[in-house]
Amino acid sequence: MSKGIWFGLSIMAIIVVGTLIAMPSPSQMTQGHMGLLMLSLVVVAIMLGFPTAFTLMGMGMLFAFAAYYMQNRVVEGAMNQTLDLMVSRAWSVMNNDVLISIPLFVFMGYLVERANLIEKLFKSLHLALARVPGSLAVATLVTCAIFATATGIVGAVVTLMGLLALPAMLKAGYNVKVAAGAITAGGCLGILIPPSVMLIVYGATAGVSVVQLYAGAFFPGIMLTLLYIGYMIIVAKIKPEWAPPLTAEQRFVELPPHAAQVRSVTGSTNALSGFLRAVRANQIAVAERRKVARDLLLMFLPAIAFVILMGLTWNSLTKPNVVTDTSELQEMGGAVDTSGSDAGGLAAPPGADTAPSGLTALPAEEPKAKDEAPTGLTALPAEEPKAQDSAPSGLSPLSTEGPKAAASGPSDLSPPPGDGAKEKPAQAPKAADKPAEKAKPAEAPAAKEMQRLPAPDAFWWVLGVGLLGLAVLFALFSYERVEIYKMLLTSFFPLAVLILAVLGTIVFGLATPTEAAAIGSYGGFGLAAVYMLVKEPPERMRRILKTWAPLFVAAIVAVIWFLLWKFEVLASGPPAWVGWISVAATTVWCVMATLQVKLIGTVRESVYLTAKTSAMVCWLFVGSSIFSAAFALLGGQEIIERWVLSLGLTPVQFMILAQAIIFLLGWPLEWTEIIVIFMPIFIPLLAKFNIDPLFFGLLVALNLQTAFLSPPVAMAAFYLKGVAPPHVTLNQIFLGMIPFMMIQVVALVLLYTFPQIGLWLPQVLYK
Amino acid sequence: MQKLLLFIDKLSTWLGQFFAWSIVGLTALISWEVFSRYVVGAPHAWAFDVMLMFYGILFMMAGAYTLSKNGHVRGDVLYGFFPPRLQAGLDLTLYIVFFIPGVLALCYAGWSYAGESWAIKEHSSIMADGPPIYPFKTFIPFAGAILLLQGFVEIVRCAICLKDGAWPSREEDVEEVDVEKLKEMVHVKDEDIAKLDAYVVKEGAAK
Repeated sequence: MSKGIWFGLSIMAIIVVGTLIAMPSPSQMTQGHMGLLMLSLVVVAIMLGFPTAFTLMGMGMLFAFAAYYMQNRVVEGAMNQTLDLMVSRAWSVMNNDVLISIPLFVFMGYLVERANLIEKLFKSLHLALARVPGSLAVATLVTCAIFATATGIVGAVVTLMGLLALPAMLKAGYNVKVAAGAITAGGCLGILIPPSVMLIVYGATAGVSVVQLYAGAFFPGIMLTLLYIGYMIIVAKIKPEWAPPLTAEQRFVELPPHAAQVRSVTGSTNALSGFLRAVRANQIAVAERRKVARDLLLMFLPAIAFVILMGLTWNSLTKPNVVTDTSELQEMGGAVDTSGSDAGGLAAPPGADTAPSGLTALPAEEPKAKDEAPTGLTALPAEEPKAQDSAPSGLSPLSTEGPKAAASGPSDLSPPPGDGAKEKPAQAPKAADKPAEKAKPAEAPAAKEMQRLPAPDAFWWVLGVGLLGLAVLFALFSYERVEIYKMLLTSFFPLAVLILAVLGTIVFGLATPTEAAAIGSYGGFGLAAVYMLVKEPPERMRRILKTWAPLFVAAIVAVIWFLLWKFEVLASGPPAWVGWISVAATTVWCVMATLQVKLIGTVRESVYLTAKTSAMVCWLFVGSSIFSAAFALLGGQEIIERWVLSLGLTPVQFMILAQAIIFLLGWPLEWTEIIVIFMPIFIPLLAKFNIDPLFFGLLVALNLQTAFLSPPVAMAAFYLKGVAPPHVTLNQIFLGMIPFMMIQVVALVLLYTFPQIGLWLPQVLYK
Repeated sequence: MQKLLLFIDKLSTWLGQFFAWSIVGLTALISWEVFSRYVVGAPHAWAFDVMLMFYGILFMMAGAYTLSKNGHVRGDVLYGFFPPRLQAGLDLTLYIVFFIPGVLALCYAGWSYAGESWAIKEHSSIMADGPPIYPFKTFIPFAGAILLLQGFVEIVRCAICLKDGAWPSREEDVEEVDVEKLKEMVHVKDEDIAKLDAYVVKEGAAK
């Protein structure tokens, strides 16, 4: 045995002996002393390496028995009480409505991880960020942040990035330490940025609302990521030899034939004008033109999305207070219905009769668009005009917005597949502000009796800034950037949308974390299915897509209808039968997709892993709740409280002391143990010092980031070592992590000094 | 004896994996309930209870499975550096001191707890007219019993290790970080990693 082991064992022995000496003689021992003994023994017992859940359970049981016995001095009664305590604790964990979201988030994580989009994600981000100093490291950090947030699995993220980013960085001449630090630090971000399991565990332990924790941890998480990125950029600037810029060769993006052709034919450097000219002038073959049209449509996605979003926001902002007069609302709904069917069945099923045509019209455009994303989004604009349609007079030719044209183009003017779609969107950026402005006077008469409220100034500011941003975006689109943008669209955006959708619904109170997690798992499944599909040969892919399309349409119609209703564009929600059809369709799709793209293996693995991870966390909870019940019974909490209060600390000192203790605990222990065992001791003290448990939770979450990076149990380092070339030593990895640990401490100080970083969002949302 | 142990190992794995599928049920149920509640506007009072049952059964039954795959979190700062015999000795002691009494007590208490629930055919009281929960409570002693059996297997494992000086192997299972699989997933081969060494060494030499 090495010296280290003896050292460790002797420390344990010292703790035990020290505690025993400090204890008064058995005759004078009070329960509180027992509690302290219990606490010091549990630290030693955990160090011995026995599964912590059962250490806590066994110890809790023994001490609970002791506590009951010391109260009554009746063996049998104490035994019964102990048994009751244990089973009621276990039962309370089984009935815990906070912990229930853990398996769901974990399941979502495993599914997303297995969707295998990290390779594409890293590649597209590294190309997109090519001009940033230290671009590879920055891309690594961003990839890690996104992917780790979606999956929450530190080990897998670090391993994968070790396989992808480390070789890329080493080949580009990066310093080993810098590369290792970026990967390990980035991989751990997922545990902080919500939706993360750690915050759920803290919420369950401390009795803080998980929703508020998520809202609170969002900005600190972003801040830490930005600090990391800032550090990398500074390193790359000061020490270019550590993180050299990419060579032209490494930045090279290969253009697809149609883009290359457009460039040579039109001679335009801007992709937007090039594509537009190529389409209008009939200069290239039809087959190529179709691809050009598709690219154009993709390029306009942000503009379309922005217009829809602003339109809906404007609609709900300026909506008059309907509480006073509901009949008006229904009338408006009626008007929508008729105008909807006037629009030619495209506008989805407003009533029972138009539904079939809606269903046929939409699939018609599905195969043309070929891609999944556009269909979802074209279907959306298809309904959007209804808002404007309610004011038939207001539809001046110009205010026929981009999205409408884009959507109705492919399906109405079917002969030239994309022509209609390209022509009109061309005016969109220029015209986009006009409809918005025009819409205001135009809509006013439509509402007749109902006066539109004026939109707040902030809305116009956002609109202006957004339009400016879009204009800059389109001006910057070169052919290479369009390629990168397309790559991002298939790797970065699905993940970002998934995370933001899950997080958004939770934070804005639209759904509970449990519900959002379940839908997220569903989304993870969908993501995995689509990515598996893309790997299939094109022929087969097309065939499968054809079977999927009608099923998607049913669900999408119901969801969009629902959204429009929620945004108060439509007066009534979808009728039940539309809902049931879409539920049936999605169920059928799940089964079909599982069979068609051989997802069953992926799902099975995810299911088993989910079971193991949830069992690990939840059994730990069972153990620790028995343990903390025993601790409370013995009154250990009171002794600690009295002791801490007797120190006469100010809240600030207490806070610093607590964080320092957690920081130190992070060296030998993992975050689960720290939160589950030690938080119950800290939390009751918070009230004495007037500290917000929410704020404390955010500090703890940030603090525990260090637990991942601090040797000797820095898991991240070992995962990276496992896939690094043999000459990369653990020491190099540890050294690389140190600057990032410093940044974590800086972030902690920042958050402490400016609590608003974390508390602003929850305060705005929940007060 | 050997056969019995292997059987128990298989049993707890099988049970754990079988009940693991309840996560799919849970996801489907909640998604459906969300749809039903928000889109169609028809919430179900019993959904909440059933969700909790899915979740509770999932993790309770996976306890033994996780134990059989050595998946419960350990404080392995020192443990990881111990020689196998010391590890086994410590584990054996703690299994007997903490695990067996704890789980046995849970099992026994759960038995009477579930029995009482069966006697009154207890229904959930979270919502009015809740679904029956006595079958759910039965899972406490059931999961405890499986866990206890698996604990005995682990004790034997410790004993074998004490005798042989090496841990007996465990059956293969899906792992969270399966390096080989991940390598395959991102198309990285061992040779590629080995080749990278050149860059590391070169950098070291330049210093």
